[in-house]
Amino acid sequence: MDDDQSAEETAFVVDEVSSIVKESLEAVIGRNPYEQKRVNQWVSSVVEQCLGQLSKLSKPFKYIVTCIIMQKNGAGLQSASSCFWDNTTDGSCTVRWENKHLYCIVSVFGLAI
Amino acid sequence: MASQPLPLSQETLAQFNRSMAPEPGASGPPRRRLGSISTRRSSKDQSKDQPHHRPLSLRGKTVPSSESSFLSTKISNSHISMGRRFSFAGWHQGGRVSFSGLYLQQPIQEVYVENTYRMGPEPGCHFSASRTRQILQATLDSYLEGVCYSPDSCSQLCQILADLFLSKLKDVNPPRYKLVCQVVVGQSGKQGIRVASRSLMNPNTDNYTSAVFQNHSLFAVALVHGMYFE
Repeated sequence: MDDDQSAEETAFVVDEVSSIVKESLEAVIGRNPYEQKRVNQWVSSVVEQCLGQLSKLSKPFKYIVTCIIMQKNGAGLQSASSCFWDNTTDGSCTVRWENKHLYCIVSVFGLAI
Repeated sequence: MASQPLPLSQETLAQFNRSMAPEPGASGPPRRRLGSISTRRSSKDQSKDQPHHRPLSLRGKTVPSSESSFLSTKISNSHISMGRRFSFAGWHQGGRVSFSGLYLQQPIQEVYVENTYRMGPEPGCHFSASRTRQILQATLDSYLEGVCYSPDSCSQLCQILADLFLSKLKDVNPPRYKLVCQVVVGQSGKQGIRVASRSLMNPNTDNYTSAVFQNHSLFAVALVHGMYFE
């Protein structure tokens, strides 16, 4: 029973992380249109908020958070990742979010220490 | 991971547990039979030079009969978490355990990896951001020269690039470093785009690097993080 709990506490839980990411995206960007001047600040805020919430989980992980914000202009965008890690302990979570004016892709990678 | 079907039938597990259960005074070593399952996992991870703690839920525990069904669930759960790497062909063919509970073959010896007492990467074995950037840039330039963006092919191109970077970087990767490589490929339109990343890491041992390529029809961003595995 103890091992089960400690395994949960030290595992990368995708649902938990994706809810953290969605909350920070809603809070920072919300319904705003794409603005060249503000996008820098948005990206920093999203990533900082995500990292802050993730570190509060107090799990033995190193985190990498990547955020891509793109204006909706009809252009295409592809994103891929590959990782050299331990499949049993490490994990990733990618959240695709959009509003009327922009697309946002946030990827969170958690690597166990 | 959790959506994979249980590899062992409940009946098989129940029989196995019945054979294991009635030994209340058993000492440590016979219980390690359960640990033979975890050994095959830990042998995979041996290269990391870490005593593998995660499958320890099965190792070295005395199992009172009342907990046997709980343990059976644990076995199947930890099998699920190992997914593809653990072959169950032996179970289904009866190659490892007969239904009387006796091992037909020698149980796999538990391998204990000794503590290396290493606190950080060796001097000269750090993740080299400059060398990685050179590799990324050279690969991007050579691979994407003259390529036109197309929605069908570029999704595969993106994944191929990510795998290619990883295979090239694994050759020059210092020991005990984990790599995360991300590639973004987009169409060169008149849209604005911002790619940013931040990480929670140890700046003494960990680092990242990025490379950008652009031509008339597409742009590509490659981002690689190297994290020391403590």
